Amino acid sequence: MGKITFQDVGQSFQGRSIFSHRNDVVEGGCITAVCGANGSGKSTFLRLAAHLLLPTEGHVSVREAGEELRREALFRRLSLVTPEMRLYPRLSARENLDFFLGLRGVRLTDEDYEALLARVGLRGSELRDTWAGAYSTGMCQRLKLACLFASGAAFWLLDEPGANLDAEGSAMVLREARRAAERGCVVLLATNDPREEAAADEVISMA
Amino acid sequence: MKSSPWHDVRLVFLKEMKSALRFRAAWAAMLMFALTTLACVSLAVQGGALSPRLLAALYWTVLFFASMAGIDRVFEAEDSSGTLLALRVYGSADAVLFGKLLYTFSLLLALAIPLTLAFLLLMDVTVAEPLLLLLLVLLGCFGLAAAGTLVAALGLGASVRGSLAPILLMPLMLPIFLPAIFVTAGAFGGEAASLSFLLGMGLYDAVLTVGASVLFPYLWYAD
Repeated sequence: MGKITFQDVGQSFQGRSIFSHRNDVVEGGCITAVCGANGSGKSTFLRLAAHLLLPTEGHVSVREAGEELRREALFRRLSLVTPEMRLYPRLSARENLDFFLGLRGVRLTDEDYEALLARVGLRGSELRDTWAGAYSTGMCQRLKLACLFASGAAFWLLDEPGANLDAEGSAMVLREARRAAERGCVVLLATNDPREEAAADEVISMA
Repeated sequence: MKSSPWHDVRLVFLKEMKSALRFRAAWAAMLMFALTTLACVSLAVQGGALSPRLLAALYWTVLFFASMAGIDRVFEAEDSSGTLLALRVYGSADAVLFGKLLYTFSLLLALAIPLTLAFLLLMDVTVAEPLLLLLLVLLGCFGLAAAGTLVAALGLGASVRGSLAPILLMPLMLPIFLPAIFVTAGAFGGEAASLSFLLGMGLYDAVLTVGASVLFPYLWYAD
């Protein structure tokens, strides 16, 4: 199982300290929620966990089966859904999925594609000839989630995953997160949603 | 699951091509840039007899200005459309670098071929060695693509990206342009230049490509 360890981690931007001396451990097999007020550093915490950002102080390590994952080895094992992450606006849903999943060595058959879209509450036939740039924010969010679900990632990093989703969509995210945790995945979600916080097994407070 | 490196490079290349073909404004801008430069040069020297070396210098100047409209923007476009984060998470450094390099090379070739024909026609140039000219265009375009992709990558995350590109491009491109001009003059019927220039261009292209592949992972992965 995977594990993300924050050792005495501090982060500041242009001299403004976001947080300091954080010592947290995120383990696989359970859902961990990162909670706190706006600006408390929830998204920064996720970016540090994903090694998309280097901490100003301390060290963040990502381990799987006792081995520290870095660079390409790490990115092949993690997937991320954040509000600022965008899909290619001039590619269709299928083309976006084929591209991102293809880079992970996952090839979707037509049946896989239909099943994957159904899993996130989208209908493939409606999206066939439409570019992602024409989708609503909720549809884009579902498509990003589809990418995550099919990627085979062992580390799920979700920033406000229920944002822009209806009640059924939010429930689907929590259901899938629970399944992933049961498979042993590390599921880390940054949230302000009380329902997502309540669904988590562990809570990291950024207050 | 692990896919082969060539498969990943091909995916990035095809994605770039598909996106570019569906956004014709970018191609039109490059073409208009090229035509404007070419029209200015051909109208300015109309009727004048130019030496092969001057013709060669004009030819590479036109190609340089035309390429500047697009070669260093492969990462800027990802950044401004917000797709860079997803590409960073899903794409390996090598796949992204070589996919984008291949795309830029194809874009430059697609631009250089009609531009060369138009140049030869408008400037009334007789090509003494067409195969040599073709080889030069291939080597020159590859060098431009490698330098442009490297500079675009260096601009990742830099707030002064716009001013960084011209400063970095000049020293990187001079070793491509100078030998290209000397050898092109020979292909245009002037004094034949030493073929060691051609070899030098090929070696420089290789050095740029290897240099980019060594440097790029440090830019792509934060740690």
